[in-house]
Amino acid sequence: MSAVLDNPVNAPATTADAMLAEVRRIADGALAELAEDIDRGVYPKSVLMRLGEVGAYRAHLALGGSDPDYGAAIQAIIEVSRVCGATGFMMWCHDVCGLYMEASGNPALTGRALEDHAAARTLGATGMSNPMKTFAGIETLLLRARPVDGGFVVNGTLPWVSNLGPDHYFGAVASVETPVENAVGGEAAPREIMFIVRCGAASVELRECPSFSAMEGTNTWGVRLTDHFIGAVDLVADPVRPFIGRIRAAFILLQCGMGLGVAQGAIDSMWTVERQLGHVNEHLDDRPDDLQAELDALTARTMALARTPFGTDNAFLIDVLDARAHASELALRAAQSALLHQGARGYLMSSPVQRRVRESHFVAIVTPAIKHLRKEIARLSEPVMPA
Amino acid sequence: MSAVVVALVWRQFICKACGLIYDEAEGDADSGLAPGTRFDDIPDDWACPLCGVTKADFEPHDAQPMPRRAVSAAVRTNARRGDAGIVIVGAGRAGWQMVQALRELDAHVAITIVSACAADLYDKPTLSVACARELASAQLVREGAAQAALRLRVRLLAHTHAVSVDARSRQLRTTRGTLRYRQLVLAHGAAPRPVDVLPADLCWRINDLVAYQRLRGALGVQRRHVVIVGAGLVGSELANDLALEGHGVTLLDVQPRPLAAQLPALASQRLVEAWRGLPLRFVGGVQVAGVMRFEGMVCVTTTCGQSFEADQVIAATGLLPEGALARRAGLAVDEGGIKVDTATLRRATRISMRLAIAPASKAVRSASSNRSRARRRRSPARSSATAPFASRRKPCHCV
Repeated sequence: MSAVLDNPVNAPATTADAMLAEVRRIADGALAELAEDIDRGVYPKSVLMRLGEVGAYRAHLALGGSDPDYGAAIQAIIEVSRVCGATGFMMWCHDVCGLYMEASGNPALTGRALEDHAAARTLGATGMSNPMKTFAGIETLLLRARPVDGGFVVNGTLPWVSNLGPDHYFGAVASVETPVENAVGGEAAPREIMFIVRCGAASVELRECPSFSAMEGTNTWGVRLTDHFIGAVDLVADPVRPFIGRIRAAFILLQCGMGLGVAQGAIDSMWTVERQLGHVNEHLDDRPDDLQAELDALTARTMALARTPFGTDNAFLIDVLDARAHASELALRAAQSALLHQGARGYLMSSPVQRRVRESHFVAIVTPAIKHLRKEIARLSEPVMPA
Repeated sequence: MSAVVVALVWRQFICKACGLIYDEAEGDADSGLAPGTRFDDIPDDWACPLCGVTKADFEPHDAQPMPRRAVSAAVRTNARRGDAGIVIVGAGRAGWQMVQALRELDAHVAITIVSACAADLYDKPTLSVACARELASAQLVREGAAQAALRLRVRLLAHTHAVSVDARSRQLRTTRGTLRYRQLVLAHGAAPRPVDVLPADLCWRINDLVAYQRLRGALGVQRRHVVIVGAGLVGSELANDLALEGHGVTLLDVQPRPLAAQLPALASQRLVEAWRGLPLRFVGGVQVAGVMRFEGMVCVTTTCGQSFEADQVIAATGLLPEGALARRAGLAVDEGGIKVDTATLRRATRISMRLAIAPASKAVRSASSNRSRARRRRSPARSSATAPFASRRKPCHCV
């Protein structure tokens, strides 16, 4: 403890600005060196933990009576994604897991457990792609829970969950099977539970995933649960739908950081060749000054939305979904244009420019993908009428 | 013969998580499933060889690809990157009039129209007098959207919601992609005013053709009882129209007489007298306290303790201008709509966008005069409620 006090570098940064300065230092230093390896499969555990030490994962939490600062949390993800989209994505995974734990109100998931999580002494993740798509009417739930004495037994497989390790944990949702004796007269309303899965349990099997085109160092696994017991200590929400309604905007707002950061990294790389190649690059469609202005406006819009991360009214939610979609579209355009600006040098396998093109693809397809966002905005925009 | 043929048909199953296809003809050699292994014979603990989900997460796969669609000249299913020209949000009267006016001025300028609905052309005022004019629901459409788009050579994005405007980069974000515009026209009109005690899932709001057609569908062919809240112009016309068709109508208003804001007391009195021959009852001076579903009916209660049961309830409680899109475009907006200088119809503070107010006001004038013509064509004998449509006028705004 005294060692920590003696060494201010290891203490959580006291203000958002100080925290962000530390995050920037890590991103431009250790992370920049590792980024290519992370793309090819190296999991940056030390960097992720270091980000926790400087307070990057606690900004959005109300720990120790502090005011949640979603803007600072998003900015931290931007700073990291600007250098490495994969690590920015894993920050989001860890951040939303913290959100689930805090919002659960479960004493076993808050207090000391949440302190450890916020400092990245323990690492968490999220298996919510399938439930989010289910609640938007696109998929059906892959995990099924059976009520038993003192909790539930869960079975099923989630195809790919990122930021996992033998001692990590993640949030997930299962549909609750209605016991036959209770299913009288027609279909019961669907019921789900949300819970934390601990990867170290014997009933949890991490299965190898096929190779992806980018971001191979995100420790992404298929997770098979076989008669996995969930007791009260790991329960996040029951019922789930109102809980998701409460945290949905915050969940998506944090994700905006990935797209904004990847776009910024792409714009940065355009400027590096401007002196030499500007006279030819001026003939391209998306120029860095234009993209930067669009990015700045979108960042300002995102930060304004982040001041009320738990808003639930339709207009606000549509705004949040649209900001997230815009971040994806901008990341795609900026990454693509950066490659055109850099030409052959950006096409080298060692170049972050081509890596960022693949990262931007991930930003655009990870749940909620651009198509999901637009479908959901359309659904929320339809006027309600009597049945 | 047929039994043999059926036995040889190999089926395919697709993984709902990753899209891997299990083909019975090929089996899955890595998992020890020989070619010809029926899906039903696969053990339950078999996992998708690509993503690891279980057999239960597969569904039958139709290997027949969807027929490829040829692109339509006018009606687009999504936005196309690049210059969308003049983009008009809203395909009501004002939107289509704007297209018409622009085409008269310039035969070649690119125009894109973005509509949340099908964008068919119809006269909104006819929605509340359709029965009186003996118009079936399907006859309300004057011209199909696709045909109008071809005729006026505009690109139409139907069933597409305009979401936000990035005025600096001149982009309109929609639920079918992002459009780059040269000029943007907001002609999306107004939306029903939300009223807490009249929830949208229990009370119809008849502000467009879709809502009207769904209401007709809900009423069906039998005679029903309908409660209409709000005896302004639309409420009174709808009450009159539905009663003419034989439905029992109870018309409620906070004012003691119908059309209190539009007509002098004597005229209101004559209107009530004219309604005596119809199954229409006006109940004035009541304030709705709540609406609830009760044994298959909808029940409207008032603050003075009365209750009215109905098959359907309609709220005709006015409209509010849609300000969200204009606000996101950086325009000053208040409850009445976009703030403009009353003398010039220009907005007071300049932002970095091109203005094209003049053609819009022309479209508005033209739209208004058409409405007046539509009004004059109505048969006075079958239409009891008459008043100018000033309350429904919606100017379009150009950015």
